[in-house]
Amino acid sequence: MSLLAFSLIVISLLSFVAAQLVLKRAMELSAKSGLRHPRYIWLATLGVALMTISFFITLGLLQRFDLSYLYPFQGLSVIFITLMAAVILKERLNLRLTIGALLISAGIVLVSLS
Amino acid sequence: MTNQPTRDRPSGFGNPWLQLVLSVACVFVSELLLKRGATDVAEPDSAFSWTGINGLVSPLVWWAILLITASFISWLYVLRYIPITLAYPLSRVVDVLVPLGCWIFLGEFISTLRWCGIALVVIGLALVAKPVAQIGKRL
Repeated sequence: MSLLAFSLIVISLLSFVAAQLVLKRAMELSAKSGLRHPRYIWLATLGVALMTISFFITLGLLQRFDLSYLYPFQGLSVIFITLMAAVILKERLNLRLTIGALLISAGIVLVSLS
Repeated sequence: MTNQPTRDRPSGFGNPWLQLVLSVACVFVSELLLKRGATDVAEPDSAFSWTGINGLVSPLVWWAILLITASFISWLYVLRYIPITLAYPLSRVVDVLVPLGCWIFLGEFISTLRWCGIALVVIGLALVAKPVAQIGKRL
């Protein structure tokens, strides 16, 4: 795998993780301030834009690599989203949730490798 | 649904846990429809087909797109009420359902290693889901 392909996989994963966190923040805001709040509209648009970037990079990667090769990286999103939500969104994270997320990621990787 | 107070957890169809189930169900069915639809209209010899756009000929693919849109709307609703540290790992149950669906409905083969992976995901889900009942009460 070239450095370019690896970078694209990382960018795709990071933009997907960022999209989920931004959308979470946007929906929390909408619960408080309604769906017409300018900050909500900005965050929701940013979230959808990040998801779109991730989608098209993945589509490009799928043309060059097998799905089974790329899918384990998708599995890592469980770990990244759980950790980032704890750090950035200050959600509570306990040992049980962490081990659960690690097992789910490991399972997704195994399913993809087989 | 503007200005809905969060202190009253919606019940019935607005229950966020029900919406999480619906979101996962929509993704699960859409994946199977996409695979079936894409296979139905596959033209491996055509250079154009690598874009995937020729898949739009299949009505099944359109049903899948409809379901993906529905699942995204449900997911946004879920994010409004459920911490993402819980909701996202739980939503990955779809990584178990899709291989199982391929096995049951599409007649695909599941190897031992793949069964092991499915088992790991299920154990992980059980760990994440166990405290959900208590958190659900507090929401």
